[in-house]
Amino acid sequence: MQRRNKSTRRQEDDTKVSENKLIGEVEELKESFDVTIDKLIKDIKRQDKIMARSDKRQRQEYDELQRRLEEVQELQEAQKKLMDSFIKLIASAIDAKSKYTGGHCSRVPELSRMIAKAASDSEQDAFSDFKIETKDQLRELDIASWLHDCGKVTTPEYVVDKATKLETIYNRIHEIRTRFEVIHRDLTIEALNKKLAGEDPKKIDKWLKEEHQKLNEEFKFIAKANIGGEFMKKEDKTKVFDIASKTWMRHFDDTLGLAHEERDRVLNEKEQILPCEEKLLSDKIRHIIPREYFDYKEYEEKGFKIKVPEHLYNLGEVYNLCIERGTLTTEERFKIQEHVIMSIKMLEQLPFPEYLKNVPLYAGAHHETLIGTGYPRELTKDDMPVAARIMAIADVFEALTAADRPYKEAKKLSDSIKILSFMVKDQHLDEDIFKLFLTSGIYKEYAQNYLLESQIDEVDIEQYL
Amino acid sequence: METLKIEETKYTPSIELNQSTGTISIIGKSYPENTFEFYEPVMKWIEEYFDGNAIEETTINLEIIYFNSSSSKLFFDFFDLLEENNNDHKITINWIYDEENESALEAGEDFQEDFEDLTINLLSK
Repeated sequence: MQRRNKSTRRQEDDTKVSENKLIGEVEELKESFDVTIDKLIKDIKRQDKIMARSDKRQRQEYDELQRRLEEVQELQEAQKKLMDSFIKLIASAIDAKSKYTGGHCSRVPELSRMIAKAASDSEQDAFSDFKIETKDQLRELDIASWLHDCGKVTTPEYVVDKATKLETIYNRIHEIRTRFEVIHRDLTIEALNKKLAGEDPKKIDKWLKEEHQKLNEEFKFIAKANIGGEFMKKEDKTKVFDIASKTWMRHFDDTLGLAHEERDRVLNEKEQILPCEEKLLSDKIRHIIPREYFDYKEYEEKGFKIKVPEHLYNLGEVYNLCIERGTLTTEERFKIQEHVIMSIKMLEQLPFPEYLKNVPLYAGAHHETLIGTGYPRELTKDDMPVAARIMAIADVFEALTAADRPYKEAKKLSDSIKILSFMVKDQHLDEDIFKLFLTSGIYKEYAQNYLLESQIDEVDIEQYL
Repeated sequence: METLKIEETKYTPSIELNQSTGTISIIGKSYPENTFEFYEPVMKWIEEYFDGNAIEETTINLEIIYFNSSSSKLFFDFFDLLEENNNDHKITINWIYDEENESALEAGEDFQEDFEDLTINLLSK
Protein backbone atom coordinates (compact mmCIF):
# COMPACT_ATOMS: atom_id res chain seq x y z
CA MET A 1 0.00 0.00 0.00
CA GLN A 2 2.77 2.34 1.06
CA ARG A 3 4.80 1.38 -1.95
CA ARG A 4 1.89 2.01 -4.19
CA ASN A 5 1.38 5.35 -2.54
CA LYS A 6 5.01 6.24 -2.99
CA SER A 7 5.01 5.51 -6.64
CA THR A 8 1.76 7.33 -7.19
CA ARG A 9 3.16 10.41 -5.47
CA ARG A 10 6.22 10.30 -7.63
CA GLN A 11 4.05 10.09 -10.63
CA GLU A 12 2.04 13.05 -9.40
CA ASP A 13 5.27 15.00 -8.80
CA ASP A 14 6.44 14.21 -12.27
CA THR A 15 3.22 15.49 -13.73
CA LYS A 16 3.54 18.70 -11.69
CA VAL A 17 7.08 19.22 -12.95
CA SER A 18 6.13 18.65 -16.55
CA GLU A 19 3.07 20.81 -16.12
CA ASN A 20 5.26 23.64 -14.83
CA LYS A 21 7.71 23.21 -17.68
CA LEU A 22 4.91 23.45 -20.24
CA ILE A 23 3.57 26.53 -18.53
CA GLY A 24 7.04 27.95 -18.64
CA GLU A 25 7.29 27.25 -22.32
CA VAL A 26 3.83 28.64 -22.97
CA GLU A 27 4.67 31.69 -20.92
CA GLU A 28 7.88 32.07 -22.82
CA LEU A 29 5.98 31.71 -26.06
CA LYS A 30 3.41 34.20 -24.86
CA GLU A 31 6.11 36.65 -23.98
CA SER A 32 7.81 36.39 -27.34
CA PHE A 33 4.39 36.44 -28.99
CA ASP A 34 3.62 39.65 -27.14
CA VAL A 35 6.91 41.12 -28.24
CA THR A 36 6.14 40.13 -31.82
CA ILE A 37 2.62 41.49 -31.57
CA ASP A 38 3.96 44.69 -30.08
CA LYS A 39 6.46 44.90 -32.89
CA LEU A 40 3.71 44.24 -35.40
CA ILE A 41 1.46 46.87 -33.88
CA LYS A 42 4.36 49.30 -33.81
CA ASP A 43 5.14 48.46 -37.39
CA ILE A 44 1.54 48.86 -38.53
CA LYS A 45 1.32 52.18 -36.72
CA ARG A 46 4.60 53.18 -38.33
CA GLN A 47 3.34 52.14 -41.75
CA ASP A 48 0.24 54.27 -41.23
CA LYS A 49 2.41 57.16 -40.16
CA ILE A 50 4.65 56.75 -43.16
CA MET A 51 1.66 56.63 -45.48
CA ALA A 52 0.07 59.68 -43.88
CA ARG A 53 3.31 61.63 -43.99
CA SER A 54 4.06 60.55 -47.52
CA ASP A 55 0.62 61.64 -48.62
CA LYS A 56 1.14 64.99 -46.97
CA ARG A 57 4.59 65.36 -48.48
CA GLN A 58 3.42 64.36 -51.90
CA ARG A 59 0.64 66.91 -51.74
CA GLN A 60 3.12 69.59 -50.76
CA GLU A 61 5.44 68.53 -53.52
CA TYR A 62 2.57 68.57 -55.96
CA ASP A 63 1.63 72.07 -54.83
CA GLU A 64 5.25 73.10 -55.21
CA LEU A 65 5.39 71.62 -58.70
CA GLN A 66 2.21 73.43 -59.65
CA ARG A 67 3.60 76.67 -58.28
CA ARG A 68 6.85 76.21 -60.21
CA LEU A 69 4.94 75.34 -63.36
CA GLU A 70 2.89 78.50 -63.03
CA GLU A 71 6.06 80.44 -62.48
CA VAL A 72 7.63 78.94 -65.59
CA GLN A 73 4.50 79.65 -67.60
CA GLU A 74 4.45 83.23 -66.38
CA LEU A 75 8.11 83.62 -67.29
CA GLN A 76 7.49 82.08 -70.67
CA GLU A 77 4.63 84.47 -71.28
CA ALA A 78 6.79 87.40 -70.20
CA GLN A 79 9.57 86.25 -72.51
CA LYS A 80 7.16 85.91 -75.39
CA LYS A 81 5.95 89.44 -74.73
CA LEU A 82 9.50 90.71 -74.57
CA MET A 83 10.35 88.95 -77.81
CA ASP A 84 7.25 90.38 -79.50
CA SER A 85 8.21 93.84 -78.32
CA PHE A 86 11.71 93.39 -79.72
CA ILE A 87 10.26 92.30 -83.02
CA LYS A 88 7.96 95.28 -83.11
CA LEU A 89 10.82 97.52 -82.08
CA ILE A 90 12.84 96.36 -85.08
CA ALA A 91 9.85 96.72 -87.39
CA SER A 92 9.10 100.23 -86.18
CA ALA A 93 12.79 101.16 -86.44
CA ILE A 94 12.65 100.21 -90.12
CA ASP A 95 9.41 102.10 -90.60
CA ALA A 96 10.86 105.12 -88.80
CA LYS A 97 14.12 104.99 -90.74
CA SER A 98 12.54 106.00 -93.99
CA LYS A 99 9.62 108.27 -94.51
CA TYR A 100 9.20 106.40 -97.78
CA THR A 101 7.96 103.22 -96.15
CA GLY A 102 5.75 104.69 -93.41
CA GLY A 103 3.85 102.07 -91.43
CA HIS A 104 4.60 99.28 -93.89
CA CYS A 105 6.15 96.82 -91.46
CA SER A 106 3.24 97.05 -89.06
CA ARG A 107 0.47 96.89 -91.67
CA VAL A 108 1.76 93.91 -93.64
CA PRO A 109 1.34 91.60 -90.60
CA GLU A 110 -2.30 92.68 -90.21
CA LEU A 111 -3.05 92.01 -93.84
CA SER A 112 -1.12 88.71 -93.95
CA ARG A 113 -2.97 87.49 -90.88
CA MET A 114 -6.38 88.32 -92.39
CA ILE A 115 -5.60 86.51 -95.63
CA ALA A 116 -4.01 83.53 -93.85
CA LYS A 117 -7.10 83.05 -91.67
CA ALA A 118 -9.36 83.16 -94.71
CA ALA A 119 -7.12 80.68 -96.56
CA SER A 120 -7.13 78.36 -93.57
CA ASP A 121 -10.95 78.47 -93.40
CA SER A 122 -11.31 78.05 -97.15
CA GLU A 123 -12.66 74.79 -98.55
CA GLN A 124 -10.88 75.29 -101.88
CA ASP A 125 -8.44 72.67 -103.10
CA ALA A 126 -5.75 75.30 -103.45
CA PHE A 127 -5.68 75.70 -99.67
CA SER A 128 -6.38 72.11 -98.65
CA ASP A 129 -2.89 71.77 -97.18
CA PHE A 130 -2.90 75.17 -95.55
CA LYS A 131 -4.46 75.00 -92.12
CA ILE A 132 -3.78 77.27 -89.22
CA GLU A 133 -4.76 75.15 -86.26
CA THR A 134 -2.52 76.37 -83.48
CA LYS A 135 -1.52 79.69 -82.03
CA ASP A 136 2.07 78.79 -82.80
CA GLN A 137 1.38 78.58 -86.54
CA LEU A 138 -0.18 82.00 -86.48
CA ARG A 139 2.76 83.28 -84.49
CA GLU A 140 5.20 81.95 -87.08
CA LEU A 141 3.39 83.86 -89.80
CA ASP A 142 3.12 86.97 -87.62
CA ILE A 143 6.81 87.03 -86.81
CA ALA A 144 7.76 86.41 -90.43
CA SER A 145 5.61 89.31 -91.60
CA TRP A 146 6.74 91.63 -88.84
CA LEU A 147 10.34 90.95 -89.81
CA HIS A 148 10.03 90.57 -93.59
CA ASP A 149 11.91 93.82 -94.20
CA CYS A 150 14.31 93.62 -91.24
CA GLY A 151 17.26 93.55 -93.65
CA LYS A 152 16.41 97.15 -94.53
CA VAL A 153 18.17 98.32 -91.39
CA THR A 154 21.35 97.69 -93.37
CA THR A 155 20.31 99.59 -96.49
CA PRO A 156 21.86 103.08 -96.60
CA GLU A 157 19.27 105.80 -96.41
CA TYR A 158 20.67 107.56 -99.43
CA VAL A 159 19.81 104.47 -101.49
CA VAL A 160 16.38 103.77 -99.96
CA ASP A 161 15.36 107.38 -100.29
CA LYS A 162 17.32 108.29 -103.43
CA ALA A 163 14.96 110.82 -104.95
CA THR A 164 17.12 112.17 -107.79
CA LYS A 165 19.78 110.61 -109.96
CA LEU A 166 22.61 112.76 -108.67
CA GLU A 167 21.73 112.26 -105.04
CA THR A 168 24.37 110.75 -102.83
CA ILE A 169 24.01 112.08 -99.32
CA TYR A 170 22.90 115.33 -100.87
CA ASN A 171 21.61 116.23 -104.29
CA ARG A 172 24.70 117.02 -106.37
CA ILE A 173 22.71 119.10 -108.83
CA HIS A 174 23.72 122.12 -106.71
CA GLU A 175 27.41 121.42 -107.24
CA ILE A 176 26.87 120.97 -110.94
CA ARG A 177 24.79 124.13 -111.17
CA THR A 178 27.76 126.01 -109.68
CA ARG A 179 29.88 124.72 -112.55
CA PHE A 180 27.32 126.09 -114.96
CA GLU A 181 27.62 129.40 -113.11
CA VAL A 182 31.41 129.26 -113.58
CA ILE A 183 31.09 128.62 -117.29
CA HIS A 184 28.50 131.36 -117.51
CA ARG A 185 30.96 133.83 -115.99
CA ASP A 186 33.83 132.48 -118.11
CA LEU A 187 31.78 133.25 -121.17
CA THR A 188 31.16 136.80 -119.95
CA ILE A 189 34.86 137.26 -119.30
CA GLU A 190 35.68 135.84 -122.70
CA ALA A 191 33.30 138.35 -124.28
CA LEU A 192 34.86 141.26 -122.40
CA ASN A 193 38.33 140.11 -123.40
CA LYS A 194 37.26 139.95 -127.00
CA LYS A 195 35.89 143.49 -126.77
CA LEU A 196 39.16 144.66 -125.22
CA ALA A 197 40.97 143.07 -128.11
CA GLY A 198 38.98 145.34 -130.39
CA GLU A 199 36.33 142.97 -131.77
CA ASP A 200 32.93 144.30 -132.75
CA PRO A 201 30.99 144.80 -129.46
CA LYS A 202 27.60 144.27 -131.07
CA LYS A 203 28.65 140.97 -132.55
CA ILE A 204 30.14 139.91 -129.23
CA ASP A 205 27.00 140.83 -127.28
CA LYS A 206 24.91 138.77 -129.67
CA TRP A 207 27.30 135.80 -129.37
CA LEU A 208 27.32 136.03 -125.56
CA LYS A 209 23.56 136.21 -125.38
CA GLU A 210 23.25 133.11 -127.53
CA GLU A 211 25.87 131.21 -125.54
CA HIS A 212 24.24 132.10 -122.23
CA GLN A 213 20.85 131.03 -123.49
CA LYS A 214 22.24 127.75 -124.76
CA LEU A 215 23.97 127.12 -121.45
CA ASN A 216 20.77 127.89 -119.58
CA GLU A 217 18.82 125.36 -121.61
CA GLU A 218 21.52 122.78 -121.16
CA PHE A 219 21.33 123.20 -117.42
CA LYS A 220 17.56 122.85 -117.54
CA PHE A 221 17.95 119.65 -119.52
CA ILE A 222 20.43 118.22 -117.02
CA ALA A 223 18.24 119.28 -114.10
CA LYS A 224 15.24 117.58 -115.68
CA ALA A 225 17.21 114.43 -116.38
CA ASN A 226 18.17 114.41 -112.70
CA ILE A 227 14.53 114.02 -111.65
CA GLY A 228 14.29 110.59 -113.27
CA GLY A 229 10.60 110.95 -114.03
CA GLU A 230 10.84 109.89 -117.66
CA PHE A 231 12.57 107.15 -119.59
CA MET A 232 16.01 108.24 -120.90
CA LYS A 233 16.05 107.74 -124.64
CA LYS A 234 19.24 107.16 -126.57
CA GLU A 235 19.26 110.72 -127.90
CA ASP A 236 18.83 112.06 -124.37
CA LYS A 237 21.93 110.17 -123.31
CA THR A 238 23.86 111.52 -126.30
CA LYS A 239 22.82 115.01 -125.26
CA VAL A 240 24.10 114.37 -121.72
CA PHE A 241 27.45 113.26 -123.19
CA ASP A 242 27.61 116.44 -125.33
CA ILE A 243 26.88 118.75 -122.43
CA ALA A 244 29.28 116.81 -120.20
CA SER A 245 32.16 117.47 -122.57
CA LYS A 246 32.02 121.25 -121.97
CA THR A 247 35.02 122.41 -119.99
CA TRP A 248 35.99 124.86 -117.26
CA MET A 249 39.33 125.68 -115.63
CA ARG A 250 39.98 124.50 -112.13
CA HIS A 251 42.49 126.54 -110.08
CA PHE A 252 42.16 124.77 -106.78
CA ASP A 253 43.54 121.49 -105.51
CA ASP A 254 40.70 118.99 -105.31
CA THR A 255 42.61 116.57 -103.11
CA LEU A 256 42.35 118.87 -100.10
CA GLY A 257 39.79 118.59 -97.33
CA LEU A 258 39.00 114.95 -98.00
CA ALA A 259 38.62 112.04 -95.62
CA HIS A 260 41.16 109.29 -96.24
CA GLU A 261 38.85 106.99 -98.15
CA GLU A 262 37.89 109.60 -100.68
CA ARG A 263 41.44 110.93 -100.85
CA ASP A 264 42.71 107.42 -101.65
CA ARG A 265 40.27 107.18 -104.52
CA VAL A 266 41.21 110.64 -105.82
CA LEU A 267 44.91 109.84 -105.60
CA ASN A 268 44.33 106.87 -107.90
CA GLU A 269 43.56 109.33 -110.66
CA LYS A 270 46.13 110.90 -112.93
CA GLU A 271 47.99 113.77 -111.25
CA GLN A 272 46.99 117.16 -112.57
CA ILE A 273 48.93 120.40 -112.75
CA LEU A 274 46.90 123.45 -111.81
CA PRO A 275 45.19 125.19 -113.36
CA CYS A 276 43.67 122.31 -115.24
CA GLU A 277 40.81 121.77 -117.56
CA GLU A 278 37.79 119.99 -116.12
CA LYS A 279 34.80 118.49 -117.88
CA LEU A 280 31.46 119.95 -116.92
CA LEU A 281 30.21 116.46 -116.01
CA SER A 282 32.36 113.40 -115.63
CA ASP A 283 32.74 109.80 -114.54
CA LYS A 284 35.96 109.60 -112.57
CA ILE A 285 37.85 106.90 -110.74
CA ARG A 286 36.91 108.62 -107.49
CA HIS A 287 33.27 107.93 -108.26
CA ILE A 288 33.77 104.18 -108.09
CA ILE A 289 33.28 102.76 -104.61
CA PRO A 290 34.82 99.30 -104.70
CA ARG A 291 32.99 96.23 -103.42
CA GLU A 292 34.98 94.83 -100.56
CA TYR A 293 34.52 91.79 -98.32
CA PHE A 294 31.83 90.10 -100.36
CA ASP A 295 31.47 86.39 -99.68
CA TYR A 296 30.58 85.06 -103.14
CA LYS A 297 30.85 81.46 -101.96
CA GLU A 298 28.31 81.91 -99.20
CA TYR A 299 26.12 83.87 -101.61
CA GLU A 300 26.03 80.94 -103.99
CA GLU A 301 25.62 78.33 -101.26
CA LYS A 302 22.58 80.09 -99.89
CA GLY A 303 21.02 80.06 -103.34
CA PHE A 304 20.97 83.80 -103.95
CA LYS A 305 20.80 84.53 -107.64
CA ILE A 306 20.68 88.29 -108.10
CA LYS A 307 23.63 89.33 -110.27
CA VAL A 308 26.15 91.05 -108.04
CA PRO A 309 27.48 94.28 -109.67
CA GLU A 310 31.26 94.58 -109.78
CA HIS A 311 31.36 97.79 -107.78
CA LEU A 312 29.56 98.62 -104.58
CA TYR A 313 28.54 102.02 -105.97
CA ASN A 314 29.27 104.11 -109.02
CA LEU A 315 28.66 107.78 -108.32
CA GLY A 316 29.75 108.91 -111.80
CA GLU A 317 27.83 112.02 -112.81
CA VAL A 318 27.22 111.03 -116.41
CA TYR A 319 26.62 107.43 -115.36
CA ASN A 320 23.91 108.48 -112.92
CA LEU A 321 22.28 111.03 -115.23
CA CYS A 322 21.97 108.32 -117.90
CA ILE A 323 19.95 105.98 -115.63
CA GLU A 324 17.15 104.93 -117.96
CA ARG A 325 14.30 104.55 -115.52
CA GLY A 326 13.90 105.92 -112.02
CA THR A 327 16.81 107.20 -110.02
CA LEU A 328 18.74 104.05 -109.10
CA THR A 329 21.88 102.70 -110.72
CA THR A 330 22.37 98.94 -111.12
CA GLU A 331 24.57 99.04 -108.03
CA GLU A 332 21.95 100.85 -105.98
CA ARG A 333 19.17 98.62 -107.21
CA PHE A 334 21.19 95.64 -106.04
CA LYS A 335 21.72 97.34 -102.70
CA ILE A 336 17.96 97.73 -102.35
CA GLN A 337 17.25 94.14 -103.36
CA GLU A 338 19.96 93.01 -101.02
CA HIS A 339 17.64 93.89 -98.11
CA VAL A 340 15.84 90.57 -98.60
CA ILE A 341 19.18 88.77 -98.54
CA MET A 342 20.04 90.61 -95.36
CA SER A 343 16.63 89.72 -93.90
CA ILE A 344 17.22 86.05 -94.65
CA LYS A 345 20.76 86.08 -93.31
CA MET A 346 19.76 87.92 -90.14
CA LEU A 347 16.77 85.67 -89.49
CA GLU A 348 18.69 82.48 -90.24
CA GLN A 349 21.11 83.47 -87.51
CA LEU A 350 18.37 83.51 -84.88
CA PRO A 351 17.88 80.30 -82.90
CA PHE A 352 14.17 79.97 -83.65
CA PRO A 353 12.44 77.06 -81.90
CA GLU A 354 11.06 74.27 -84.07
CA TYR A 355 7.61 75.83 -84.40
CA LEU A 356 9.09 79.05 -85.80
CA LYS A 357 11.61 77.44 -88.11
CA ASN A 358 9.91 78.71 -91.29
CA VAL A 359 10.22 82.38 -90.35
CA PRO A 360 13.31 82.99 -92.56
CA LEU A 361 11.67 81.17 -95.49
CA TYR A 362 8.37 83.08 -95.25
CA ALA A 363 10.04 86.42 -94.65
CA GLY A 364 12.63 85.96 -97.38
CA ALA A 365 10.30 85.09 -100.24
CA HIS A 366 8.08 88.16 -100.45
CA HIS A 367 9.84 89.45 -103.57
CA GLU A 368 9.76 86.13 -105.39
CA THR A 369 7.31 85.44 -108.22
CA LEU A 370 5.61 82.20 -109.23
CA ILE A 371 7.77 81.76 -112.34
CA GLY A 372 11.32 82.29 -111.14
CA THR A 373 11.61 85.94 -112.09
CA GLY A 374 11.69 87.30 -108.55
CA TYR A 375 14.52 87.68 -106.11
CA PRO A 376 16.72 86.77 -104.34
CA ARG A 377 16.41 83.05 -105.13
CA GLU A 378 14.33 82.99 -108.31
CA LEU A 379 11.90 80.61 -106.64
CA THR A 380 8.83 79.25 -108.38
CA LYS A 381 5.34 78.53 -107.08
CA ASP A 382 6.30 75.02 -105.97
CA ASP A 383 9.17 76.35 -103.88
CA MET A 384 6.96 78.87 -102.13
CA PRO A 385 4.77 77.87 -99.23
CA VAL A 386 1.27 79.37 -99.18
CA ALA A 387 2.27 81.61 -96.26
CA ALA A 388 5.07 83.15 -98.34
CA ARG A 389 2.71 83.73 -101.27
CA ILE A 390 0.22 85.39 -98.92
CA MET A 391 2.93 87.69 -97.62
CA ALA A 392 3.95 88.63 -101.16
CA ILE A 393 0.43 89.86 -101.93
CA ALA A 394 0.15 91.64 -98.58
CA ASP A 395 3.48 93.36 -99.22
CA VAL A 396 2.48 94.66 -102.65
CA PHE A 397 -1.05 95.66 -101.68
CA GLU A 398 0.14 97.59 -98.63
CA ALA A 399 2.76 99.40 -100.71
CA LEU A 400 0.20 100.30 -103.37
CA THR A 401 -2.47 101.60 -101.04
CA ALA A 402 -0.27 103.28 -98.44
CA ALA A 403 -1.30 106.87 -97.85
CA ASP A 404 1.78 107.82 -95.87
CA ARG A 405 4.36 108.00 -98.67
CA PRO A 406 5.41 111.61 -99.28
CA TYR A 407 6.58 110.98 -102.83
CA LYS A 408 3.32 109.72 -104.25
CA GLU A 409 -0.35 110.32 -103.94
CA ALA A 410 -2.37 107.55 -102.34
CA LYS A 411 -3.82 105.24 -104.98
CA LYS A 412 -7.51 104.47 -105.16
CA LEU A 413 -8.58 101.05 -103.94
CA SER A 414 -9.84 100.04 -107.39
CA ASP A 415 -6.56 101.10 -109.06
CA SER A 416 -4.53 99.15 -106.55
CA ILE A 417 -6.59 96.04 -107.16
CA LYS A 418 -6.24 96.53 -110.90
CA ILE A 419 -2.45 96.59 -110.52
CA LEU A 420 -2.61 93.44 -108.39
CA SER A 421 -4.62 91.78 -111.15
CA PHE A 422 -1.91 92.65 -113.69
CA MET A 423 0.70 91.13 -111.43
CA VAL A 424 -1.46 88.02 -111.09
CA LYS A 425 -1.74 87.84 -114.87
CA ASP A 426 2.05 88.07 -115.15
CA GLN A 427 2.24 85.28 -112.58
CA HIS A 428 4.06 87.45 -110.12
CA LEU A 429 1.35 86.95 -107.53
CA ASP A 430 -0.79 83.91 -106.71
CA GLU A 431 -4.16 83.84 -108.46
CA ASP A 432 -5.98 81.73 -105.85
CA ILE A 433 -4.88 84.00 -103.03
CA PHE A 434 -5.81 87.08 -105.07
CA LYS A 435 -9.31 85.71 -105.69
CA LEU A 436 -9.67 84.75 -102.04
CA PHE A 437 -8.55 88.27 -101.13
CA LEU A 438 -11.43 89.62 -103.21
CA THR A 439 -14.20 87.10 -102.47
CA SER A 440 -13.56 87.09 -98.73
CA GLY A 441 -14.01 90.87 -98.68
CA ILE A 442 -10.66 91.31 -96.97
CA TYR A 443 -9.70 94.07 -99.41
CA LYS A 444 -12.72 96.03 -98.21
CA GLU A 445 -12.19 95.32 -94.53
CA TYR A 446 -8.54 96.32 -94.76
CA ALA A 447 -9.42 99.45 -96.74
CA GLN A 448 -11.92 100.54 -94.10
CA ASN A 449 -9.30 100.17 -91.39
CA TYR A 450 -6.23 101.57 -93.09
CA LEU A 451 -7.11 103.61 -96.17
CA LEU A 452 -8.20 107.23 -96.38
CA GLU A 453 -11.87 107.94 -97.03
CA SER A 454 -10.86 109.47 -100.36
CA GLN A 455 -9.09 106.31 -101.51
CA ILE A 456 -12.01 103.95 -101.02
CA ASP A 457 -14.12 103.55 -104.14
CA GLU A 458 -16.35 100.84 -105.56
CA VAL A 459 -14.50 97.83 -106.89
CA ASP A 460 -16.15 95.53 -109.40
CA ILE A 461 -14.51 92.31 -108.31
CA GLU A 462 -16.51 90.18 -110.77
CA GLN A 463 -14.17 91.15 -113.61
CA TYR A 464 -11.25 89.54 -111.80
CA LEU A 465 -12.91 86.26 -110.80
CA MET B 1 36.74 49.20 -43.12
CA GLU B 2 36.58 50.35 -46.65
CA THR B 3 34.85 53.61 -47.52
CA LEU B 4 31.55 53.03 -49.29
CA LYS B 5 30.79 55.52 -52.01
CA ILE B 6 27.74 55.56 -54.27
CA GLU B 7 27.50 58.18 -57.02
CA GLU B 8 24.38 60.26 -57.38
CA THR B 9 21.94 59.37 -60.18
CA LYS B 10 18.74 60.97 -61.40
CA TYR B 11 16.72 58.97 -58.85
CA THR B 12 19.20 58.15 -56.10
CA PRO B 13 21.33 60.22 -53.74
CA SER B 14 25.09 60.34 -53.44
CA ILE B 15 26.21 58.33 -50.45
CA GLU B 16 29.50 58.25 -48.63
CA LEU B 17 30.26 56.13 -45.61
CA ASN B 18 33.71 56.78 -44.14
CA GLN B 19 34.91 54.79 -41.17
CA SER B 20 38.11 56.74 -40.53
CA THR B 21 36.27 60.06 -40.15
CA GLY B 22 33.15 58.50 -38.72
CA THR B 23 30.90 60.27 -41.19
CA ILE B 24 27.89 59.02 -43.00
CA SER B 25 26.44 61.30 -45.72
CA ILE B 26 23.37 60.86 -47.86
CA ILE B 27 22.73 63.79 -50.19
CA GLY B 28 20.13 64.15 -52.92
CA LYS B 29 16.82 62.64 -53.97
CA SER B 30 15.72 59.17 -53.01
CA TYR B 31 13.47 57.48 -55.54
CA PRO B 32 15.17 54.12 -56.06
CA GLU B 33 13.33 51.50 -58.06
CA ASN B 34 13.91 48.95 -55.28
CA THR B 35 14.63 50.94 -52.14
CA PHE B 36 15.61 48.12 -49.79
CA GLU B 37 17.91 46.56 -52.34
CA PHE B 38 19.50 49.93 -53.02
CA TYR B 39 20.15 50.70 -49.34
CA GLU B 40 21.09 47.14 -48.37
CA PRO B 41 24.88 47.71 -48.63
CA VAL B 42 24.47 50.93 -46.67
CA MET B 43 22.63 49.25 -43.80
CA LYS B 44 25.10 46.36 -43.80
CA TRP B 45 28.03 48.75 -43.68
CA ILE B 46 26.51 50.63 -40.72
CA GLU B 47 25.81 47.40 -38.80
CA GLU B 48 29.39 46.35 -39.34
CA TYR B 49 30.59 49.82 -38.38
CA PHE B 50 28.84 49.77 -35.01
CA ASP B 51 29.97 46.20 -34.48
CA GLY B 52 33.33 47.24 -33.10
CA ASN B 53 34.52 49.56 -35.86
CA ALA B 54 32.98 52.82 -34.74
CA ILE B 55 35.22 55.70 -33.79
CA GLU B 56 34.52 57.98 -30.87
CA GLU B 57 32.13 60.35 -32.57
CA THR B 58 29.91 59.53 -35.48
CA THR B 59 28.37 62.29 -37.60
CA ILE B 60 25.54 61.64 -39.95
CA ASN B 61 24.71 64.24 -42.60
CA LEU B 62 21.38 63.82 -44.30
CA GLU B 63 20.44 66.23 -47.03
CA ILE B 64 17.50 64.60 -48.66
CA ILE B 65 15.57 66.90 -50.94
CA TYR B 66 12.77 64.59 -51.99
CA PHE B 67 12.07 60.95 -51.15
CA ASN B 68 9.45 58.33 -51.85
CA SER B 69 7.38 56.38 -49.30
CA SER B 70 9.59 53.32 -49.23
CA SER B 71 12.61 55.55 -48.62
CA SER B 72 10.69 57.01 -45.70
CA LYS B 73 10.20 53.51 -44.32
CA LEU B 74 13.87 52.81 -44.81
CA PHE B 75 14.84 55.95 -42.93
CA PHE B 76 12.80 54.67 -39.95
CA ASP B 77 14.78 51.43 -40.04
CA PHE B 78 17.92 53.50 -40.38
CA PHE B 79 17.05 55.61 -37.33
CA ASP B 80 16.08 52.41 -35.42
CA LEU B 81 19.54 51.10 -36.08
CA LEU B 82 21.09 54.34 -34.87
CA GLU B 83 18.89 54.33 -31.77
CA GLU B 84 20.00 50.80 -30.95
CA ASN B 85 23.58 52.01 -30.92
CA ASN B 86 22.92 55.36 -29.35
CA ASN B 87 23.75 54.27 -25.81
CA ASP B 88 27.17 52.93 -26.59
CA HIS B 89 28.22 55.55 -29.14
CA LYS B 90 28.18 59.29 -29.54
CA ILE B 91 26.05 59.91 -32.62
CA THR B 92 25.13 63.30 -34.08
CA ILE B 93 22.63 63.54 -36.91
CA ASN B 94 22.44 66.69 -39.07
CA TRP B 95 19.24 66.97 -41.07
CA ILE B 96 20.13 69.57 -43.68
CA TYR B 97 17.34 71.25 -45.64
CA ASP B 98 16.91 74.06 -48.12
CA GLU B 99 15.10 76.98 -46.57
CA GLU B 100 12.69 77.05 -49.50
CA ASN B 101 11.89 73.35 -49.21
CA GLU B 102 9.27 73.28 -46.49
CA SER B 103 8.47 69.59 -46.77
CA ALA B 104 12.12 68.67 -46.19
CA LEU B 105 12.10 70.69 -42.96
CA GLU B 106 8.85 69.06 -41.85
CA ALA B 107 10.22 65.58 -42.50
CA GLY B 108 13.20 66.42 -40.31
CA GLU B 109 10.90 67.63 -37.55
CA ASP B 110 8.88 64.43 -37.77
CA PHE B 111 11.99 62.28 -37.33
CA GLN B 112 13.03 64.45 -34.40
CA GLU B 113 9.67 63.72 -32.78
CA ASP B 114 9.78 60.00 -33.49
CA PHE B 115 13.32 59.44 -32.24
CA GLU B 116 13.55 61.56 -29.13
CA ASP B 117 16.67 59.80 -27.88
CA LEU B 118 18.66 60.67 -30.99
CA THR B 119 20.43 63.99 -31.42
CA ILE B 120 18.94 65.33 -34.62
CA ASN B 121 19.96 68.88 -35.58
CA LEU B 122 17.92 70.69 -38.21
CA LEU B 123 20.27 72.84 -40.26
CA SER B 124 19.06 75.17 -42.92
CA LYS B 125 21.38 75.63 -45.89
